[in-house]
Amino acid sequence: MASRLSRRRLATYIADGFVSGTPSKATLIEQLAGYLVESRRTKELGLIVRDIEYQLAEKGHLSATVTSAFDLGAQTLKTIEAYVKDTTSAEHISLTTLVDPDVLGGIKISLPGRENDQTIAHQLTVLKTRFKKV
Amino acid sequence: MSELSITDLSKDLRSAIENLESSKNLDEVGVVVRVGDGVVWIHGLREAGYNEVVNIETADGIVEAFALNLMEDEIGAVLLGDDSGVKAGQSVRLKGTVLEVPVGPELLGRVVNPLGRAIDGGPAIVTKQKGLVEREAIGVMGRKSVHEPLMTGIVSIDAMFPIGRGQRELIIGDRQTGKTALAIDTMINQAKQDTGVVNVYVAIGQKFSKIARLVDRLKKEGVMDQTIIVATSPSDPASLLYLAPYAGTAMGEYFRDNAQHALMIYDDLTKHAVAYRQMSLLLRRPPGREAYPGDVFYLHSRLLERSAKLSDDLGAGSLTALPIIETQAGDISAYIPTNVISITDGQIFLETDLFYQGIRPAISAGLSVSRVGGAAQTSAVKSVSGNLKLGLSQFRELASFAQFGSDLDESTKNQIERGQRLTELLKQPQYQPLSVWQQVASIAAVTNGYFDSVAAPKIKDAQAALIAKLWATHQTEMTELDKGAKPTAETLHLIETVARTVAKGFEG
Repeated sequence: MASRLSRRRLATYIADGFVSGTPSKATLIEQLAGYLVESRRTKELGLIVRDIEYQLAEKGHLSATVTSAFDLGAQTLKTIEAYVKDTTSAEHISLTTLVDPDVLGGIKISLPGRENDQTIAHQLTVLKTRFKKV
Repeated sequence: MSELSITDLSKDLRSAIENLESSKNLDEVGVVVRVGDGVVWIHGLREAGYNEVVNIETADGIVEAFALNLMEDEIGAVLLGDDSGVKAGQSVRLKGTVLEVPVGPELLGRVVNPLGRAIDGGPAIVTKQKGLVEREAIGVMGRKSVHEPLMTGIVSIDAMFPIGRGQRELIIGDRQTGKTALAIDTMINQAKQDTGVVNVYVAIGQKFSKIARLVDRLKKEGVMDQTIIVATSPSDPASLLYLAPYAGTAMGEYFRDNAQHALMIYDDLTKHAVAYRQMSLLLRRPPGREAYPGDVFYLHSRLLERSAKLSDDLGAGSLTALPIIETQAGDISAYIPTNVISITDGQIFLETDLFYQGIRPAISAGLSVSRVGGAAQTSAVKSVSGNLKLGLSQFRELASFAQFGSDLDESTKNQIERGQRLTELLKQPQYQPLSVWQQVASIAAVTNGYFDSVAAPKIKDAQAALIAKLWATHQTEMTELDKGAKPTAETLHLIETVARTVAKGFEG
């Protein structure tokens, strides 16, 4: 049975491979899938993907998700991309948009391990907590 | 060169920091992986520090937790509130601070939880300062040896096991032996003698009904105004029970650091150790002896080391600690009792047998000790209580021998009789602490033989009569004696004269 590796080490290996191109992406995926099945850790897949995202972001390949209550215009997305680039200094940015009416208004920019939540839903939660404390 | 303005420089720096903060505005965020039994496991938050507060965003608002297990892939954090709203997948943010509680005089007279929030139904507490819950103890150079007395008002303690300001004196005994009563009497005495010492009573897992009774009593005795109560009930999460003594100490340290004196009462550290064991096991830390984690000694040593007498350079304030430990069947060699005994500067051991014999406070003269308090004992009390402890121990030994036969020589009989009178004298009802002069007069009357003609059962009445008469006829001398200086020969003669007169009324 395969020895237990930490998620961080697995993610670092995969991210390094993705950036350098060796071994190929398909091989890396095959290796990871095989390891997870053999070590019965398939349930951790979601967390490993998050770790890989984090490792890739550290190497300049950033995937960001923008959540808003309504569709955002091209100009707004461009501004957000510039903001992300400015704050993270990442070379490659892939922006994914997500429309979620539950956020009520405003936007939430989610980066691997970091977040800028300017949604109304978040502000309301903060407000609710403050009132509770008082 | 243009003129330098420190105000402008400070303003510019603040605005630059604000700009930097607002331009980034990216919070470090993690996600709840699993939750249960008050412990939450978090993925992410790689920059989290030990003891750092994290905010979990739930549907009902933000729930706080503090990080205790920092591992390679996840963080184990202990929730500070209800875990029912916390679910896997929720966002977790770093608060950017370690645990802090409000500190300051605004807390006096209030009952708060370990987070410093009022639970007495009064208005919200707003303080100017906050204190760190976990803080390193003061170093060697910042300390001074214990030399000022902290009068408890309990004759047997002040005479035999004196406590000094900055000392850590353990109160240990089985359940229902009067441990809390001793602590409460000490608190009451601080108000009665107007010592200016602030009391911080930390109730760890105590029933709220008991705390309500305590508050009522303290109000009645006029002590509540100089008291802070940090209360946790058995239904609170283990995290709050664990935090309570540290939070209370942070509140007490405010007074210590501001050249004042504070008295900490931890009631009790046995429950604290149990709460920490629960947390540690849930955090999957390896169990050791009696399933306590390996750092259970450090848990209490780092807490009690914060009690200290500060040097003159630091304002000469003090923080005295009276931790309480509950034993099982009088076993002081159990794990937690031995730990705390070795940390503290002495212990007052309360015995169940003495308690049920009516000897209250049920202090065991043989097993109790005060390691540093001798230097802090009031000269007045010291002058009359020189061999009180030895005499009492010898009496208890002789008394047990005397049970086997009645043919005793005269001197042994006398010694036993004086021991019986002494035992009676040291009995003291709850909530009735005695001042210095009252203690001196009472002890002198018995140990010097002025009350030798008084039968043991009448000693308390004779003592009350002596105190009343001395106060009525020699108030000036007694007020002077109350200041604590060694009594003059005239004062001692005066006590002798009055005591012998009083004794005549109680012969038999």
